[in-house]
Amino acid sequence: MNSAPPSPAAPVRTPTDWQSPAMQRRIRHRYAAERRFRWLGLGAVSLSAAFLVFLLATMIGQGANGFLETRIALPIDLRAAKVDVPPARLAGPGGDLALAGAGLEGAVDAAANAAFPQQGGAAVLSDGAWLRVRDAVKRDPSLLSRPATIDVPVATDIDVALKGDGTPESEAIVSALRPRLSKGLNLSFFSGADATDPTRAGIWGALKGSLFTMLVTLALAFPVGVLSALYLEEYAPRNRWTDLIEVSINNLAAVPSIIFGLLGLAVFLNTFHMPRSAALVGGLTLALMTMPVIVIAGRNAIKGVPPSIRDAARGLGASPIQVVFHHVLPLALPGILTGTIIGMARALGETAPLLMIGMRAFIAAPPDKLTDPATALPVQIFLWSDEVAKGFVEKTSAAIIVLLAFLLAMNGIAIYLRNRFETRW
Amino acid sequence: MTSNSAPKMTASRVNVFYGDKQAIRDVSIDVRQEDVTAFIGPSGCGKSTFLRTLNRMNDTIAGARVEGDIRLDGEDIYARAMDVVQLRARVGMVFQKPNPFPKSIFENVAYGPRIHGLARSKADLAQIVERSLVRAGLWGEVKDRLHDSGTALSGGQQQRLCIARAIAVDPEVILMDEPCSALDPIATARIEELIHELRGRYAIVIVTHNMQQAARVSQRTAFFHLGQLVEYGDTSDIFTNPREERTKDYITGRYG
Repeated sequence: MNSAPPSPAAPVRTPTDWQSPAMQRRIRHRYAAERRFRWLGLGAVSLSAAFLVFLLATMIGQGANGFLETRIALPIDLRAAKVDVPPARLAGPGGDLALAGAGLEGAVDAAANAAFPQQGGAAVLSDGAWLRVRDAVKRDPSLLSRPATIDVPVATDIDVALKGDGTPESEAIVSALRPRLSKGLNLSFFSGADATDPTRAGIWGALKGSLFTMLVTLALAFPVGVLSALYLEEYAPRNRWTDLIEVSINNLAAVPSIIFGLLGLAVFLNTFHMPRSAALVGGLTLALMTMPVIVIAGRNAIKGVPPSIRDAARGLGASPIQVVFHHVLPLALPGILTGTIIGMARALGETAPLLMIGMRAFIAAPPDKLTDPATALPVQIFLWSDEVAKGFVEKTSAAIIVLLAFLLAMNGIAIYLRNRFETRW
Repeated sequence: MTSNSAPKMTASRVNVFYGDKQAIRDVSIDVRQEDVTAFIGPSGCGKSTFLRTLNRMNDTIAGARVEGDIRLDGEDIYARAMDVVQLRARVGMVFQKPNPFPKSIFENVAYGPRIHGLARSKADLAQIVERSLVRAGLWGEVKDRLHDSGTALSGGQQQRLCIARAIAVDPEVILMDEPCSALDPIATARIEELIHELRGRYAIVIVTHNMQQAARVSQRTAFFHLGQLVEYGDTSDIFTNPREERTKDYITGRYG
């Protein structure tokens, strides 16, 4: 009934010749196309890998020096300089103030003037040199009562000259002082904030600012983004309004970041009078930018959860919210986290919107609260790259390395979480 | 056990629409507690659609509309007072494709009792899980690996796990939507045996496109065609002595 016998009038087909030259040629073409495609792919991957290696090599090559400082051995006799603070006061919180009040800075300058008068005396030292002496005294109060030699950081031009990029004058000073100079890890770079003197400038202020900003962004964008995605996928009726919202969110994800900065400026600063330059406002602004990315990734992840799982849960009498929170969300979480990584990584590297809300100010102290004036890593890089002093070149590269390390750490955590929640079905 | 006079579920004059398209026309059917009821018919005849009206799974499909009267123990299941979540616990469902949760075997079975608060303690829950797996004939095969993933089981085992999961909430009716269509003959035989064992404890409604299966497992058979109920009666009568020409044609393989 369904398969009619072949009609006898049908023409007899000649059997296919699988060995004919035309066949052989077709096979050769197929193999050639396959090979070409593989080489193209390999080429594309190698090209991007080469760019990455070049970027990392340049950054590490230039930035490594930014983590180092040049120190000079400074002979100093604090008893002779009459810097006298009772040991009991040194230990307490007023210790720093007591030492400053006792004229420690002047004593350090005088010691430098005495030790290397031909090379400019106190001008050889970094502005922060006396702080290093202060910390040494607090660690070892006996320094107040005996002559000693303390390693202190040198001024930025000497530092740059020793690292091979100095002016003739500073080169001469370096060759004269060579035996007293040494290199060491610049710990104050990791604990300080921005400064006008590159030898005193640190990254901690910007790092903390970025950390605060990212926390605010994550705390706002993740729950709002995930809940929006869940609502739109699982609850929202399919109508014109939902379509409109969907189109708006997709467009929002493509809006240039500077526009979000202007929005943050207009809404958070001008309308709600939130503090200028604060990590809180930076985080809110970046959350506006990150949320659409999380919503889009989240919706795709939720769409990818097989409908059979929803049926299974509903068939057992799970309520809609139980279906969502017991089954759909856990299965969609890896995909949602991937979207969050992309959104947060973009937010971390964003400079333009932060400039608009005042996070480009010169901030010399790390923020303690979300509302304290702060700056962020990419803004700090932007600011330092604009500086005239030569010492900031390597600081800029060092800051870039710190930013990349932060990014890798953030993504590492997210990937770890994603793999933990990843399930097979 | 209810007597013949009081059916477990009754459906009268049910119409189902998907948008403008009418999928079910004026179907009336009674499901008895002590029987396995089979729905047969060619693809697209509406048998699965009708099955899904019995626990209101069609509610989740946008544009689906159900008219008529469907009662469970005399209660109108489409009434405003009926809680759909509770209804689905009382009328459980097994799907065409085995769909265990991507969780452990234990968690799969424990999920239903947990959300409905049926277990008084951890030990009680473990007991429910064991009893359900025993009834589904899966206990012997999985008792040493209750914490392995349910998705790692074979297809037939997964389907029995889904049956155990449905049993665990102690339903009154179990709806099975072509439960063997994705399984090999040996796994199918295992499920059919299981349906025999479960008969009487639960009212069972099974949709199948396999007429031999309907003949083997059911006592009552309903033949659907083009959204209408053509014939409904004792399975032995339907297969040996159908009243309608269309039923006879279908059963003898003239179309389908």
